Amino acid sequence: MIRTLTLSLLLCPLLALAQAPVIEISGANFRPLPLAVPLPQALNDGARTVAPEFDDAFFFDCSAAGIFQVLDRKSYLADAREGFTASTITFSRWADVGAEALVKVQLSVDGRDLRGEMRLFTVASGKEELRLVHVVPLDQPRKLAHFFADALYKQFTREPGPFQSHMAFVRRAGKGKDVYLGDWDGKRAVPIAQGNINLLPVVGPQGDSVAFTSYRSGKPALYLQRAGGAPTPLVNTGAMATGVAFSPDGKRIAYSMAQGEGAQLFVADANGANPKPLTDTPYFINSSPTWSPDGKRIAFVSNRAGTPQIYVLTVANPKDVRRLTFQGNYNQTPDWSPRGDLIAFTARDERNAFDLFAINVESGKVTRLTQDQGNNQEPSFSPNGRLIVFNSNRTGASMLWVMTAEGQNQKMLPLEKGDYSTPDWGP
Amino acid sequence: MTTLASAAPVSLLARRSEATFPKFLFWSAVVHAVIFSLAVVYAKLHEEAAIDLDQKPIKATLVRQGTPRDEKLLPRIEQPPPPPVEQKAPEPVAVPEPPRTVAPAPVPAPAPPKTKQAGEKKADPRQTLMGAFDKLSKTKPDTTGAADGDPHGDSAVAEGEAYYARLRSQITRFYDVSDTIPDAERIRLVAQVAVVISPAGQLDRARLAKSSGNDLFDSAVMQAVKRAAPFAPPPTHLRDALSKYGVVLQFRP
Repeated sequence: MIRTLTLSLLLCPLLALAQAPVIEISGANFRPLPLAVPLPQALNDGARTVAPEFDDAFFFDCSAAGIFQVLDRKSYLADAREGFTASTITFSRWADVGAEALVKVQLSVDGRDLRGEMRLFTVASGKEELRLVHVVPLDQPRKLAHFFADALYKQFTREPGPFQSHMAFVRRAGKGKDVYLGDWDGKRAVPIAQGNINLLPVVGPQGDSVAFTSYRSGKPALYLQRAGGAPTPLVNTGAMATGVAFSPDGKRIAYSMAQGEGAQLFVADANGANPKPLTDTPYFINSSPTWSPDGKRIAFVSNRAGTPQIYVLTVANPKDVRRLTFQGNYNQTPDWSPRGDLIAFTARDERNAFDLFAINVESGKVTRLTQDQGNNQEPSFSPNGRLIVFNSNRTGASMLWVMTAEGQNQKMLPLEKGDYSTPDWGP
Repeated sequence: MTTLASAAPVSLLARRSEATFPKFLFWSAVVHAVIFSLAVVYAKLHEEAAIDLDQKPIKATLVRQGTPRDEKLLPRIEQPPPPPVEQKAPEPVAVPEPPRTVAPAPVPAPAPPKTKQAGEKKADPRQTLMGAFDKLSKTKPDTTGAADGDPHGDSAVAEGEAYYARLRSQITRFYDVSDTIPDAERIRLVAQVAVVISPAGQLDRARLAKSSGNDLFDSAVMQAVKRAAPFAPPPTHLRDALSKYGVVLQFRP
């Protein structure tokens, strides 16, 4: 016993010599995950007809998500007829292209239903990370694509994805402006209000209705309308009312109404009943309300200090108003992020370009999101606060674009050519 | 020989009587148990603060020389400086690469800001002209480093073994990690890669000694090591140790 103990004591220093030094390495470059998205496999004829539409939506969702770097399909080396299971896929070919993750989809038509199966693989280990099956009606391949994109997003970030939500926007039609409600990417848009001038739409709390400002009765008034339904007036007092915003719980609305020389903010029930004033500056304009995610505060634009700036007030105690922006002399269209920390807004900088900025509500620090690319206006956060859709004329026409909340990965939405403005991304 | 049983001291090496051994064992166990439970109670009472998962990484920026932007104006996005040009001959003065932990990088490596231009409003055309003259004169008074500094250096002061620092900077150049890893998971990831480097600097062996638990991070870390090879040849005093036992690289995001 004593002999073994002393022997091990003698051995210890030798073991210490054999220990290798440990060097600490930190400071990783974080970049989006290189993701390979090959064409979906169609298992029967019906699936073959809807596959392109599915692929359009799915590919765009993955490229716009901001967390993926979708690799160019032309660079793929793997056999297009490759299998669907981990054992039949040659992962080395995908690794050669630089992919770190691979997502494959199989579509099949079953009577009146479209069935899709998605599998996610990690290329380095060849493991299947996620397997998902979903069925939708045959005429809704885009809905299936958005479902899969959301699941993929959630698999990586553990947060709900934004791809099954809706967007309302305005499109010029001749002399008038029409309001549309569609998928988050603007596709499958149905006209809500046509004829006359209809502006400043917001998606309703259930995602199936739109509240907007309309000039159909001469003076601007607020209406709520479902697709195919008739418009219900929300605020039609005869005075000019614009810019409605739903509270996060959907129970109240805030809007701006002209009074005398100025315009004041009001809060009312969701059907427009019981309006209560929030601001009291008779000679100044208060407009563009946006609710905080907890429904306790409202950020708005006011020119009470001379130039349009962004202010924040508490709904329970409206006299508690705080000015938020002190830089620039033309700050408009605030949108409060659903994550609560940032407010995105349009501002005109010293070169007379309109660009998007984000201000941290607590610290007041302003960061710039767009620069030197035409005029960019009217930001709207996605429901998970990670993406922003906005209006840009950098290509000549006024189109809708999407980018991450830090201003990266700016992509144009796949809409047909037209004159689009004031998008609102809602539930 | 007379046996002086009581006077002579009892040797400690002599076997004691069997009866006292279990008693000794019992009291030893009791004392150990008491000390152990005291330690457990102390640990429970003095719990350290939990990791703050919402803590954002600290961003540090160094201000560059020049006229400050009017505070009333909205900010502009700063363009990152061009990547430093690889010098053919080793510079006598260390040329600091834009430090990775500083965003946006303040000192453009080839043409450092000129102090004599501080008052100028139209800085850009004149700066490029003066920058050209500066390159010809080969004096760079604004860069901090040492006279015997390394062209791959990225710090104002040297620390630790120079070769290990060189390894570190070579690997960090290829250290790309996927952005999809959630923030909460990022602060807990630690991976260790054991590498063995030949005397010529070739990567003999690289294996994942300790996995971080996240496959993406593990593969990113192995990729960084493989892409950074071949390394610089190690100095004489490290050659043996590196080719026999190697080094362990501990990666954190």
